[in-house]
Amino acid sequence: MESSPIRCNTLLPGVARGTALVTSQPICFWGGFDPKTGTITERNHELKGQNVTGTVFVFPTGKGSSTTSAILLESVRCGTAPAAIVNLKTEPILVIGAIIAERLYDRVIPIVDTPELDLTKVIKTGDWIEVNASENEGWIHLRR
Amino acid sequence: MFLTTEEEQSLQGENGEAVQLAMSVLVKLGEMYGADRMIQIENVHVDASSYYGISDAGMEFVEKMAEMGAAYKVPTTLCISSIDFEKHADFGVSKECVEKQLRIARAHSTMGANPTWTCTPYQCGSSVKIGQNIAWGESNAIAFVNSVIGARTIRCADFVDICAAITGLMPEFDLYLDDQRKGSVLVKLEGLDTRQFTSADYAALGYYVGGVADSRVPVLEGVSKSVSTDQLKAFSAAVSTSGSIGLFHMSEITPEARNLDEAFGGEKPSETMVFGKDELREVRRSLATEDGADPEIAILGCPHYSLEELAETAQLLKNKRVSPDKQLWVFTNKCGKQEAEQKGILGKITESGAKVICDTCFILFPTPAWELGSIATDSAKMAHYAPGLGEFRVSFLDKEQCIESVTK
Repeated sequence: MESSPIRCNTLLPGVARGTALVTSQPICFWGGFDPKTGTITERNHELKGQNVTGTVFVFPTGKGSSTTSAILLESVRCGTAPAAIVNLKTEPILVIGAIIAERLYDRVIPIVDTPELDLTKVIKTGDWIEVNASENEGWIHLRR
Repeated sequence: MFLTTEEEQSLQGENGEAVQLAMSVLVKLGEMYGADRMIQIENVHVDASSYYGISDAGMEFVEKMAEMGAAYKVPTTLCISSIDFEKHADFGVSKECVEKQLRIARAHSTMGANPTWTCTPYQCGSSVKIGQNIAWGESNAIAFVNSVIGARTIRCADFVDICAAITGLMPEFDLYLDDQRKGSVLVKLEGLDTRQFTSADYAALGYYVGGVADSRVPVLEGVSKSVSTDQLKAFSAAVSTSGSIGLFHMSEITPEARNLDEAFGGEKPSETMVFGKDELREVRRSLATEDGADPEIAILGCPHYSLEELAETAQLLKNKRVSPDKQLWVFTNKCGKQEAEQKGILGKITESGAKVICDTCFILFPTPAWELGSIATDSAKMAHYAPGLGEFRVSFLDKEQCIESVTK
């Protein structure tokens, strides 16, 4: 079943599909994520042990480190990055990592945020999602 | 966002591929933060410098920029490395780490960086002035240069610093703007004579302030004018560890806070907190892990020790020897090391059995010492990060006690 598409704000344009991996807890890329394997490693995180590779990764926001850009870039290099990222509010530094990844490894990771609904409640882990983000607007298509 | 004709041309690739990539990163950053325009910057401190920090992908990015003909347009210093360039062979760092660090060093040098390899460029390699727009990475350096020197930088993330150095530009937002530099919360010191404060006390104060201010600009009232540059350094490192702090003011001490009214830009504080004896004791206690005792290694020099701090360390080590089953590591930069060598201070430290390590930082220097179980440090930043590194037990002590804990 496909529900009506959800509009959001494009930070990095592109099209990607994948299985959703959803959390309502912020993600800390530096020290909480292993770019070599794509696994969430943060102690006490509800996604600890889960792998983000190839997923549409839905999380509210990042937790500050100035090294986030380097970790995302390393993850793309290792082939462990998510297919797309959906946030309530994206940390700009994450987008910087993704822009550089696009130029260095020719790999686009669309990033969208501020959806019209709280997606961390609407989307469940395992849902099939397409992110379709153009310069001007982004859409999320959800199939269950 | 408004771009000049020249900036627009750079973005379209007319000034080469590297400049185009750098511009596209900076323009995107500006758009995300709602900047109106680009501003020229006069100095950069690049945090994307250590192999252990930026990994293979970061190394490939730096090499790619150099290959594409990028050149740093403004004076650019480098933050720490993952090796001591002269002495890495003594510390069991892997061959891979050494080789890759040397590749990063070559790429930065091709682009024209000043190989300072320090987290304290304001004490070694950079001369920036009040009011200058600059683009710095590394949290302690950002807090110090904004607050103590009065130059202006946002908290640059990895690679943004490199893009700024290549273009000489940054989007204008946050701490580049006058109204973003006004104080927001007041921390009043009560019942404390900070003339008696050690660097570790200043670090504890900073750790408290960062925690309560979070991402607001804190203003301190009641710090003695006797506070030294090195104590302000310890404070800067701590305040930017526990909070997202790029700027603080100390009334009657830092340049944008000649008085309390100036610090708050004529407005009232949104919140006022009191820091007294109890808070100091509590923060110092919280910086140690509960099981912190009997340290196997003492780590000094986070941030890098200055010549004065090395001299003080030598003095405290007089007639002492590092215990055979313990270690004392003191981190510094080239400036500190060379001057200490000329003045005979270095020898006094090393003859006690302590090691003086240059260019790097315990946290980003992958040695077998990470396998140890228990450390002592006078740095709030080190005390904060060490438990996550190797599950270290931490004792947070004054420098003198750190030295006593590993010597006889």
